[in-house]
Amino acid sequence: MNLYARYLGGCAVLALAATLTALPASAQDAAALSADAAQNDWATHHGTYKSYHYSGLDQINDGNVKDLQVAWTHFPERATRGIQSTPLALDGVLYYSGSYSRIYALDGATGRTIWSYAPELDEELVAKQTHSPYNRGIALGHGNLYVGTVDGRLIALDLKTGKVQWDKRLLDSKKITVGFTGAPLVVKDKVIIGAQGGEWPGRGPIFGIDGKTGEKKWEFFTVAGTEEAKETWGNDSWRTGGGGGWMPGAYDAETNSVWWGTANPAPLYDWSGADWKKSGPRPGDNLYTTSVIALDPDTGKLKFYHQELPHDAWDFDSAVGEFVFINRGDKKLVLHANKSGFVFVYDRSNAKIENVWQLVKNINFVKSIDPKTGELIGRRDLTLGKQDTPLCPAISGGISWNSGAYSPKTGLYYKIGQEWCIDVTVEKTTPILEPMAQLNIGATFKTVAPPDGPVHGHLDARDPVSGVKKWEINYKEPPLSSVLATAGNLVFVPDAEGVVHAYNAESGQELWSHNNGLGHNAGIISYSAGGKQYIAMPAGWGSLVSDDYATLFGEPFKSMAKNTGALVVFSLK
Amino acid sequence: MRKSIVILAALAISGPSLSTAGQAQQSTTATTASQTPEPEASTSDIDGQQVFLNTCGFCHENGGRAAGRGPKLANSARSDEFIIQRIKKGKLGSMPAFGSAFSDSQIIAILAYIRALDE
Repeated sequence: MNLYARYLGGCAVLALAATLTALPASAQDAAALSADAAQNDWATHHGTYKSYHYSGLDQINDGNVKDLQVAWTHFPERATRGIQSTPLALDGVLYYSGSYSRIYALDGATGRTIWSYAPELDEELVAKQTHSPYNRGIALGHGNLYVGTVDGRLIALDLKTGKVQWDKRLLDSKKITVGFTGAPLVVKDKVIIGAQGGEWPGRGPIFGIDGKTGEKKWEFFTVAGTEEAKETWGNDSWRTGGGGGWMPGAYDAETNSVWWGTANPAPLYDWSGADWKKSGPRPGDNLYTTSVIALDPDTGKLKFYHQELPHDAWDFDSAVGEFVFINRGDKKLVLHANKSGFVFVYDRSNAKIENVWQLVKNINFVKSIDPKTGELIGRRDLTLGKQDTPLCPAISGGISWNSGAYSPKTGLYYKIGQEWCIDVTVEKTTPILEPMAQLNIGATFKTVAPPDGPVHGHLDARDPVSGVKKWEINYKEPPLSSVLATAGNLVFVPDAEGVVHAYNAESGQELWSHNNGLGHNAGIISYSAGGKQYIAMPAGWGSLVSDDYATLFGEPFKSMAKNTGALVVFSLK
Repeated sequence: MRKSIVILAALAISGPSLSTAGQAQQSTTATTASQTPEPEASTSDIDGQQVFLNTCGFCHENGGRAAGRGPKLANSARSDEFIIQRIKKGKLGSMPAFGSAFSDSQIIAILAYIRALDE
């Protein structure tokens, strides 16, 4: 109950709601998580269900951030491929996951270990996996901590002791290669988690699990999950799969809808050109891949959806991109960034398009996307063989899975864009249904500079609905970490070289920086312990995107240590 | 000629998991190979390029001709034995182990594809 009490203490609106009605504990929990700002706690992956990655704390602000210094650090065991997770904080305790789904519960003020947990994984399987053994986050609820594993399990640990409450196998990972790397999402009595999968013959299921017992309550197949969807995969090509919901979505309590993004179909690339509706490896729209879907959290039934890229032939997932809930006048909207570099704005009640705007400059897989309908205009559907001009953005995307931030104080959305392209040669493939561990790519490629200059990245501060830009900061290398905004008029960006920057949220002026010594490829949060504000971020390098940096940029990436990392926590002097 | 060397190397080093290895190891290897005009017959139906491009090309860019997430493989100075073992066992934190995903014949076909790569 202390959990709920702390939520309510941090939010006057919620406190008012609690006094008006005697809500059950789970409902209070959900209401608190629906606040704009994370306050003393950071209790869910995206900060709150609104996914602002915004802290309401302002002890650390634009006037004193120059005095920020390292408070403590923590080093996890077996940090293979660095650390890619977003920590959580509750009641002054910081929780985070490392590779192999190892969990650490630490005193938020001192870093002293309270408990740790290391699941026994199928090591033989893990060694065979391409997108492994990193873990990108955890969830808290029902007195438990939840974490998925790359060998297909969801585990519940007692929040106070780390003792296993239940350990449930949800996927036959030996067969389909993949498991779970994304954070779960707690919604009422359920834990919801999506599987990996874009390049493998799985059906990208999203699961609804009873938080108390671990019992599976529902499973939604993002690949051909309905009869309507199955008809969009010609020649039974749904069997080649894809569509994993590999990052966590968000929950809209007002409509009782869970928003989730799905990955691309397999193979990634397609040789059918303009005839993709009738020929090629997967003729048709391939529902519900590269889509945003709204599920009923109680039943797992699909309520509505929008396929951002029908018949995605470029590996531009919708699994990336947080769901930012914003109200404009009487309009209740949700913002979602697609890997292609476009940002979609939807009506939250039905996923109808309100606007589409372009974050990334170098895009040529389409000429544009209709901002009123979402229709792709001037698709560049590839044909067999080497393409005459590079495809933009590159396979790593104009946007990656690292989250942006929205400040209700400035009204600005802070999001990282990536500018790069690929020389690509499309290859004909035969359907891969089994065995495990084979990918299904359908092309060979090489990352190259975009037309407007060298490969680079940028942090944009934009109006979230119109996309109008207020300021921009350029980076030699695209940052791969999430962004944090705070009520202290600050925006934090941990960059690829290992430097964490603090900017004035209104102007973009850099106010402070610190070199953590390793590239960042994870989340960043703020929380309070003992009445003091902290900023916490993992440093640690190594992923399928960052592994390209040594070739692209040379040093410091050529010599940057992988398979190591640290959680670094800052506070004022 | 290059392909034959590749096949011989694979037969010689790939250990008991190769179906033919139990008989073909050590002194019998060269003899068996020399008496068999097409020792690669069992792999002749496997398109090493397609296997490579579908799975390996994600990291070994431009079909293995350029460094990317993984190293450039064209004109690699690594031995056949090293490459076969790396495919089978992988490298922690960098490359998965494909020893059970690919058959021995497929691995030999991949090696042959790598050895035939131009810059």
